[in-house]
Amino acid sequence: MSSQMLDVGLHERRRAERMQDPEYRKAYERTAHEVAQTDAVIRELDSLRVNLGMSKAELARRVNRNASSVRRLFTASQARPELPLIIALADALGAEVRVVPRTAELRQAGRDFGGRRRASATA
Amino acid sequence: MPRQNRDDQPGIDRQSGSDHARRAPWDIIYYKAPDGKVPAIQFLDECPGTLDAQFTAVLDAVAAAPPPQFSGGGKWEAMHGSMSGFYEIRLSGPRREQFRLFCLLENGTQEELARRGLQRPAIAVITGMRKPWRTAFSERDYRRIHELGTEHQKNLPRSVAT
Repeated sequence: MSSQMLDVGLHERRRAERMQDPEYRKAYERTAHEVAQTDAVIRELDSLRVNLGMSKAELARRVNRNASSVRRLFTASQARPELPLIIALADALGAEVRVVPRTAELRQAGRDFGGRRRASATA
Repeated sequence: MPRQNRDDQPGIDRQSGSDHARRAPWDIIYYKAPDGKVPAIQFLDECPGTLDAQFTAVLDAVAAAPPPQFSGGGKWEAMHGSMSGFYEIRLSGPRREQFRLFCLLENGTQEELARRGLQRPAIAVITGMRKPWRTAFSERDYRRIHELGTEHQKNLPRSVAT
């Protein structure tokens, strides 16, 4: 076994260097925010599903989709989740998708992200 | 159900932007070819506008919540067929030009990771490619990406950019 560990710090160093550029930083933060919100909605739906003790196959049946499409949604294997499917899944889980205005503090932060608002699945 | 505010979650430190990787459970590494070139870094450096920043943000999000969790905001996708085992980050650029970053996952037992020179699991960024909107990469393109991935996986320890 090799006892020598690689230097894996390039990514972090490269990012830190580029973050000095305000345009880069803004784009990074906007994307990170968008990704975090999307991920949060999907994970919230999966969490509701688990809490209800519902299998992915059962959830798929309830929204008239095949099991693999729902399974893919909750894993890393599907990109671009569709809003109609998200809404249908939320409905089947007794939840709904809302756009929630931010608090004043977050609105200020939101201006940095192009004024985007926070979306969530709520039971 | 109480929800965690995104601003309370571990992730981006808005001041430094450099806190993320330290907390992320996975590292991010870049394949270095035998000639010393780093195809993925070369690709990112040549991306127009802010695409480099966007790719970096998606990589960080996935490293923070690695597969099989859903992560990457719908921009990270498992590939299939001849590219099975690869993941791609998909972004659009100016005039809808399509940009893709191709990655492999480095996971395994502690012993396996150590043989690769890794202390913990990692996303290995292999290379990137771009194409006009509504066009497809050729089988030759995919073969080339696959070859780079194979080359990367042959190296023990891995050959990575530092």
